[in-house]
Amino acid sequence: VHLSSVKQCGVWAVLLWPYLLSVSIPLDCKEEQGSLSRCPSISQEKLLDRVIQHAELIYRVSEESCSLFEEMFVPFPLRLQRNQAGYTCITKALPIPSSKSEIQQISDKWLLHSVLMLVQSWIEPLAYLQTTLDRYDDAPEMLLNKTKWVSEKLISLEQGVVVLIKKMLDEGMLTTTYSEQGLFQYEVQPEMLESVMRDYTLLSCFKKDAHKMETFLKLLKCRQTDKYNCA
Amino acid sequence: MMRKGVEAVLLLSLLFFTSHAKATRFSPPGKPALTRCRSPEKETFTCWWEPGSDGGLPTTYALYYRKENSETVYECPDYHTAGENSCFFNKNDTSIWVNYNITVVATNALGSTFSDPVDIDVVYIVKPNPPEKVTVSVMEDKGWPFLRVSWEPPHKADTRSGWITLIYELRVKLEGEDEWEMHLAGQQKMFNIFSLRSGGTYHVQVRCKPDHGFWSEWSSTSYIKVPDYFHREKSVWILITVFSAFIFLILTWLLHMNSHSLKHCILPPVPGPKIKGFDKQLLKDGKSEDVFSALVVSDFPPTTSSNYEDLLVEYLEVYIPEEQELTLEESKDLHDSCLKSEGSTSDNDSGRGSCDSHTLLMDKGEAKEGERQTDQEESQTEAQRQQKDWDEEELTYTHEDMVSPDMSSGRVKTWPSVFSPLPQYTLSPLVQRSSLEMAKQHCLSDSMFPPSSTSSYLIQPGNSTKEALGPSHWEFSLSNKQPQLLHPKTQAHSDINISSIGHKQTPVSLQSPALRRTEYVEVQRVNEEDMVLLQPIVCGEGCPQMRQAEDYSKVRGVDSDNRLLLQREVAKEEVDMCPYEDQEADGATESCYTSSDINTNQKPPACSYTATPVQDNRTLPASGYVDTATMFTLPTY
Repeated sequence: VHLSSVKQCGVWAVLLWPYLLSVSIPLDCKEEQGSLSRCPSISQEKLLDRVIQHAELIYRVSEESCSLFEEMFVPFPLRLQRNQAGYTCITKALPIPSSKSEIQQISDKWLLHSVLMLVQSWIEPLAYLQTTLDRYDDAPEMLLNKTKWVSEKLISLEQGVVVLIKKMLDEGMLTTTYSEQGLFQYEVQPEMLESVMRDYTLLSCFKKDAHKMETFLKLLKCRQTDKYNCA
Repeated sequence: MMRKGVEAVLLLSLLFFTSHAKATRFSPPGKPALTRCRSPEKETFTCWWEPGSDGGLPTTYALYYRKENSETVYECPDYHTAGENSCFFNKNDTSIWVNYNITVVATNALGSTFSDPVDIDVVYIVKPNPPEKVTVSVMEDKGWPFLRVSWEPPHKADTRSGWITLIYELRVKLEGEDEWEMHLAGQQKMFNIFSLRSGGTYHVQVRCKPDHGFWSEWSSTSYIKVPDYFHREKSVWILITVFSAFIFLILTWLLHMNSHSLKHCILPPVPGPKIKGFDKQLLKDGKSEDVFSALVVSDFPPTTSSNYEDLLVEYLEVYIPEEQELTLEESKDLHDSCLKSEGSTSDNDSGRGSCDSHTLLMDKGEAKEGERQTDQEESQTEAQRQQKDWDEEELTYTHEDMVSPDMSSGRVKTWPSVFSPLPQYTLSPLVQRSSLEMAKQHCLSDSMFPPSSTSSYLIQPGNSTKEALGPSHWEFSLSNKQPQLLHPKTQAHSDINISSIGHKQTPVSLQSPALRRTEYVEVQRVNEEDMVLLQPIVCGEGCPQMRQAEDYSKVRGVDSDNRLLLQREVAKEEVDMCPYEDQEADGATESCYTSSDINTNQKPPACSYTATPVQDNRTLPASGYVDTATMFTLPTY
């Protein structure tokens, strides 16, 4: 009986042999047009470009959201562009290079992993921000849309970086284990101002991290093309 | 073993049939094919497939997809959203980072059929929706209308964040036309269209495309009508046209008025030849002879009958010495030689012309005596009476002579050479008693005589001139011989001579050398009374019986008709015995030749003569040198 099943499987394999071939043979895709071509994978350069473009967009929208929030809710004397003492960014604890010299020394792999860590660490806070902004009375529609958009795109970015890591570093699929570490902890602020300031801090930090992500990816691209002239 | 073999055979037959199964009533489904996959906003996408033959049995289709570098096969999450034979991938299932490998499987009761797999990159299959809210309006720019088209991107496309970057394109056409006018608008959402046709209706459509993707469908047509604005433009052009036409007409009229002067200014006329008498037409005809002959003016070279007297530098001086007159009286024997010239006043130095043929002169003089009746009437002297006698006798002669002068009106009268030997003529006996008519030789040179010549003119007759004397007559006063002495023979002879002379007859006698001699009369001078005084040349040699009895005619003057007026005076034939007086004694000569003054009583007895003036109105021709034979005219006695 076992032998007959094996034979059946063999028969099925014989019958379906043309189709198996197409699956097993990876084809290197070089076409860029939107035609239905047999192109199973996106090239590394194209992927990196898309990831960079993605990161640029996220940064731009986050900057717009922060400005919008600042105009609406934050009193003027308290408007700051850098971290204040009371409020620190949640991602400060991450092992991310922060100076230019460190960035130059870091490897490609570690760049990608840094970007991935950043992206994964901000997914949850942004989701939270979305909920808190809903509680605002006169939060503008645009602000809400923007923040929502950012959170969505961030998730997409994460996927892209994962694919990129897999393609560039030839590593296996990494799960989003970083986000599960729960860097972010909810803290309910009963006072409005505190809440506002916290949200404001959140947006500002995210804006900076988004800029970091974009910078890392662009540096990575530069290294791909010209290794010795990238700063 | 047997069962295995049967199974194997069955399997093989199944395989065989599967491979070569033909469509009978029922068959496995045909192979489907993915036609297209599209993503409207790069966040979702949809795939459509074309089913193959169903094989007569109900066939189900399933879409399976696999993500790049993943073996996990997923099935289409949504078969309904996008319609029939479609699969819709929502946002969560769509990733721009990976390719999709999609396969459609058709399955019926007899089997399944897989379609060809297709790899999809979501970014490259983006085909946005058409632009929305396309609005067209007519706007004015300084009086000229234009269309303004504005639109919005499709609402699904996230162009605000830059997720998709779209470029737009619109097209315009007039109603009724077939050709669309395309305009690429770039990323802007507004466009202006100029150069409109007034009163036309336009159709406008817009579409868009992402930077990597497909063009969207055209939006729905927007209609717009352009108002009429052509009237104002037309009126301006009408005004301009009318004005320019008016100016053009004025210019044409001006040009026409001044065409002549303009023509002279631009093309100056070529001056033609301005030769008097030159006929251009003849030249064009090619008759050069006529042309040049026309140039010849009749009066060129000027052969004007200008006064020959102008050429006379000096006056002619004619005089007859009194001695010669005297000799004429005394000599009676000169009848024979009466034909000969009465060389009464023959000078040595003066040449004798035909007029010096005294013989002729004498004959003539005899003839003339008859003609001088009138003159003789005035004379109161014996000579007068003598003359009358003579006249009677010589009437015959004179008659002839009378004729001749009449005939000779307007002719040149010259002295025949016969008269040259006037000095030989002896009329002295007659002279004494009767008034001798001194035939003066009117040796007048023609006014044509060059003034350079001396006062003395040499007139030489020629024998031939005698014949030429036909038409001309001579009238001359001969220092008459005494008519009485004239023998009839002589008379006849003289008559003959005279007649011959007068009537175009060759005077035989004249031609006799004995009788005839070419004598010259020398014009001495012109006295105060404008009388040319001629002086016969004294023939020094071989001048027998040359007496001075020459008759000279004084030139009285030249009248207005260029006629030489001669004044004939009876010259006294001077016999040898008569002392020859010098010619300078004008007074004497005057006294001798006083016109119509027959008061010869005053004259010396030896030189009794009568002087009768002779006025000769014969005209002298204005031709050149005239032979004296033809020059002289003898007045009618």
